[in-house]
Amino acid sequence: MADLDRGAEPAAWTLKLSAGSFHKLSALLTLALLIFAFSFGNAAFFSINNGLTVLLQTSVIGLLGIGMTMVIITGGIDLSVGSVLALSGTVTGLSIKAGIPVAPAMAIGVMAGAACGFINGFVITKMRITPFVATLGMMLIARGVALQLTGAAPISRLGESFGLLGNGSLFRIVEKTGGIFPKVVFPGIPYPVILLGIVAVAGAYLLRRRQIGRHIYATGSNEEAARLSGVLVDRTKIFAYVLSGALAGLAGNVLMSRLVTVQPNEGVMYELDAIAAAVIGGASLMGGVGNISGTMIGAAIIGVLRNGLNMAGVSAFIQQIVIGIIVILAVYVDQIRNRR
Amino acid sequence: MKPDAQSATPLVQMDSIEKHFGGIKAVNDVSLDLYPGEVVGVLGHNGAGKSCLMRILSGAMIPNEGTIRVNGEVVDIQTPHDARDLGIETIYQTLALADHLNAPANLFLGRELKTRFGNLDDNRMMAEAVSVLKRLNPNFKNLNDPVSSLSGGQRQVVAIARAIYFDVKILIMDEPTAALGPSETAMVGSLIRQLREEGIGILLVSHDMHDVFELCDRVIVMNKGRKVGSHPIEDVTKDDVLSLIIKGDLPHDWAPRSQKAVQ
Repeated sequence: MADLDRGAEPAAWTLKLSAGSFHKLSALLTLALLIFAFSFGNAAFFSINNGLTVLLQTSVIGLLGIGMTMVIITGGIDLSVGSVLALSGTVTGLSIKAGIPVAPAMAIGVMAGAACGFINGFVITKMRITPFVATLGMMLIARGVALQLTGAAPISRLGESFGLLGNGSLFRIVEKTGGIFPKVVFPGIPYPVILLGIVAVAGAYLLRRRQIGRHIYATGSNEEAARLSGVLVDRTKIFAYVLSGALAGLAGNVLMSRLVTVQPNEGVMYELDAIAAAVIGGASLMGGVGNISGTMIGAAIIGVLRNGLNMAGVSAFIQQIVIGIIVILAVYVDQIRNRR
Repeated sequence: MKPDAQSATPLVQMDSIEKHFGGIKAVNDVSLDLYPGEVVGVLGHNGAGKSCLMRILSGAMIPNEGTIRVNGEVVDIQTPHDARDLGIETIYQTLALADHLNAPANLFLGRELKTRFGNLDDNRMMAEAVSVLKRLNPNFKNLNDPVSSLSGGQRQVVAIARAIYFDVKILIMDEPTAALGPSETAMVGSLIRQLREEGIGILLVSHDMHDVFELCDRVIVMNKGRKVGSHPIEDVTKDDVLSLIIKGDLPHDWAPRSQKAVQ
């Protein structure tokens, strides 16, 4: 019997590849095409420096997108991540002002995000409010709390170490020339990019190799079936929202650290970018479908588009139009895939 | 093959079970027992309360009144998990499959096999799934595909495999042959006989009189939330059962058919 299976396996595998990876392949192709087009238009686009800049800009959307993907796979949506990002940054900033060292203060900020996520999960599963409404409420609440705590004023003078997470980089090579400006041989890999990489790998591992990941897919695929199979559906959902909140908190800390200032009105509409990244990457808002690598490609597409259009001198308004069209096209491709 | 009903302890004893939604009594003072190696048909109209009763036993619904005994001991079934721990497995009419997952993932859903490090052991789950699915249907090949792309019969096989793979003692089958073709129906029939030989108690919810008379040792008929009859299959004809289902009563001149034959 074992031999028989081995014989059948390759055929099944190629079949799966053609059906499941079709969307990812088309997204990757889109990304490659965009990079090609932009580097054709502007020589400065296709450089290590600019590549790292794009990655740096993508890291915040990427972190939000990973949490969003988990939530979307359960069949939900998290509209609160942009506001939770701002609240988490605010909590970190206030903690530092209260005399707590930077690292624990950031941990407190991330925990504040996780707490927002827990409230989302609790309201959705125990009070049976639809995810759209529950997280819309949290979006307003978290933003309001952030603005109330700070009086809508930015918190600055948080010390140099606060800026390290957002502005530092690994493997930075600088040559001393004797002049005022040292020559930068290699700008280094920014910490946010490394962080995104670690979180993405951890997220993919969680979804693919762990029981909770399997349960996240099952819950989104058929909630009733999952419940009847003994899956703790409520706990699974709460887990996804807590993770989304915590990652929004992490993204908030990265973003505020990059600015070295806490801005309570940062992150407006970021939730839509995160949703767009997940959807471009093949996640289905109906639940049960999606993966981290797809979302990373989606986030990269948005990052490359923004950066490339900026360098080409296209206005921010046109950028919105283009990204909107990309989102619709991505879902259309998904539809075609499902119809086949 | 015929169970010796008097000597053994019942596998399941449901006593005066009640379930109401608002003012409506979906299940009204129903008692039911099931012995090892016995197939009991549960019959009734749509909305007669038979699905409700089955859902109570499988942990998907909590009764308002009544006690459930398994092997003579009172048990408290709050969740599907509790029921499974007692060896009660259910094949739902809707099959209860997660469409986006493949067959092994569905088979082990909620009871995933893990490696030493707590990771999912997909290789072992696949190997186990292959062996159990091939036993039920030798033509089962596309185990890696999401179950949404499988045929109705194959999906049914996955649902059945999920119920019998684990240590099942009491099997609830809700319309197991409704979506199946003739050969697959025959397969389910022979499977039921085989499980009965192994001493498993089976509750078979079905609309198909032919199946019921073919497979069951006893029938229980429900009407408007009440149990209106419980008879050994030799004592009734199809017409008697239909009368119970529709009117909630046996024909006036009814006497147990097996005794009549003797007279």
